[in-house]
Amino acid sequence: MTLEQAARALSAEWVHPGPAGAATRSLRGVVATDLMSDLLVADRHGHLVLTSLASDQVIRTADIVGAPAVVVVNGKPLPAGMVDLARELGVALLRSTLPMYEACVAVARAAGP
Amino acid sequence: MKVRDLAALSPGAEWVVVGLPDEPIAGAYTSDMLSDVLAHAPPGGVLITIQAHRNTVAVAMHRGLRAIVLAHHRPVPRDMAEAAQAEGIAILRAPADQYTLSWRLHEHLRDEGVVR
Amino acid sequence: MSVLPINSDQPPLVLQDLLFKLKVRDVMTTDVITVRRADTMRYAQALMKTHRITGVPVAEQGRLYGIVSMDDIITALETGAMDRPVEERMTTRVVVLEADMPLSFGASYFEKYRFGRFPVLDRDHRLCGILASRDISASLLIELYKEYCRLEARVPPLAVRAEPARSIHIRVHRYDFENAGKGAHEIKKTLAAMGVEPAHIRRASIAAYELEMNLVVHSFGGVLRANIGPGEVVVKACDDGPGIADVELALQDGFSTANDWVRSLGFGAGMGLGNVRRVADEFSIQSSAGAGTSVRAVVRWPAAGGAP
Repeated sequence: MTLEQAARALSAEWVHPGPAGAATRSLRGVVATDLMSDLLVADRHGHLVLTSLASDQVIRTADIVGAPAVVVVNGKPLPAGMVDLARELGVALLRSTLPMYEACVAVARAAGP
Repeated sequence: MKVRDLAALSPGAEWVVVGLPDEPIAGAYTSDMLSDVLAHAPPGGVLITIQAHRNTVAVAMHRGLRAIVLAHHRPVPRDMAEAAQAEGIAILRAPADQYTLSWRLHEHLRDEGVVR
Repeated sequence: MSVLPINSDQPPLVLQDLLFKLKVRDVMTTDVITVRRADTMRYAQALMKTHRITGVPVAEQGRLYGIVSMDDIITALETGAMDRPVEERMTTRVVVLEADMPLSFGASYFEKYRFGRFPVLDRDHRLCGILASRDISASLLIELYKEYCRLEARVPPLAVRAEPARSIHIRVHRYDFENAGKGAHEIKKTLAAMGVEPAHIRRASIAAYELEMNLVVHSFGGVLRANIGPGEVVVKACDDGPGIADVELALQDGFSTANDWVRSLGFGAGMGLGNVRRVADEFSIQSSAGAGTSVRAVVRWPAAGGAP
């Protein structure tokens, strides 16, 4: 599954597209969490991050673990600093109005069996 | 789907508090933010979370949830287990992550026609 | 075009600025040594020797008549004309600069004509100075030095950054969620620049990030340090308190003293120290209630994996 496909499944709005080619590169998996430590588990990288946390730290954490993209669910408004940081660190940033549970279901459906 | 069937979601899942095993499950909510759960979780549903904390039980009770499924096999503090026991809320520890638990639960609920 | 070994199509803005801002008059030597038309070539040669210059303008009352170059002297020597007046032997087709020209123009003349010096005329066409190539380089160096001092004075004194490649030292403040994570990012960047394998970089930055967040969430403030040596990075987090009453308990997965506000920001789930211990090759913690806490985590990588 690519970020583009995930975005379509989530009806997500693209806030920052990330580096060139980010939309079409295939994702290694999905992490759904609102806790940064949960994201900081070492054996995952190249994952799509689904979170209802809208803060700078989400972008920093994604950068640290090598997650190429973050989707903020629940339609949370994004602070300006978060968008700036996504641009600075080259992390794709999207926003979806789906709640987390539905977002997981939608992405899993797009990812196929 | 009943509360007791939740164990099928993840190999290696274990019950910490069995709660009311024959109650039906009416929906689900995935979140690690308790304020979010407090505002949106569906009554009669299941909470999928990583927050193994006594406050999670308080929030679950407030929303009328039947069960808490803890992702990543998170250990349960004793005060959390005691609170859940007292409130009749089930707690399941499952090795899978929130994402996987969510879509698996959805497959079960969909097959039963609880949701689309 | 330029004599300077720089990319003249797109030199740095500071240099571009200087080359345009500076005029020939700002850089030229105004105390010009000249000879008169009736002086002998021998006199001119003696003057050049004394002052160690390779050319001398022929001028009277500010009016420029020509220039005696080293070539002219050599020719005079060969033809036995050293006692002739310079008027007869000087170069009369003199290439001159004007005082108001920008220095970039003056610099281009050296490349174009390959002369060692150019007489400079003022608006009234009177000799007012002489420009040698060394005047340009010396003045640019002086101006760049001034500019550098000016810029440096504007930079706030940062944490110890003298050796950014090997040693990182970042002050972390309590509840400063805005800046938290910058230290870990710095460590990540440094290791990446050194060519360390991504998997090891990830382990080191995860350890650093968790420790940095611990300082933000739990301490009164502290310092995050990283010392990068051959094949390893040692990350240390030291704070000034309040200390941990039961270190064993703090290391248990899921144990946390964080308040709900911190939890709502996505931290304080009681996974941090466990995460650090999991990713590190070596881990130690020292703390007691009322005193500070210091945590040390070492991440190692095999030398073949692009060690420094």
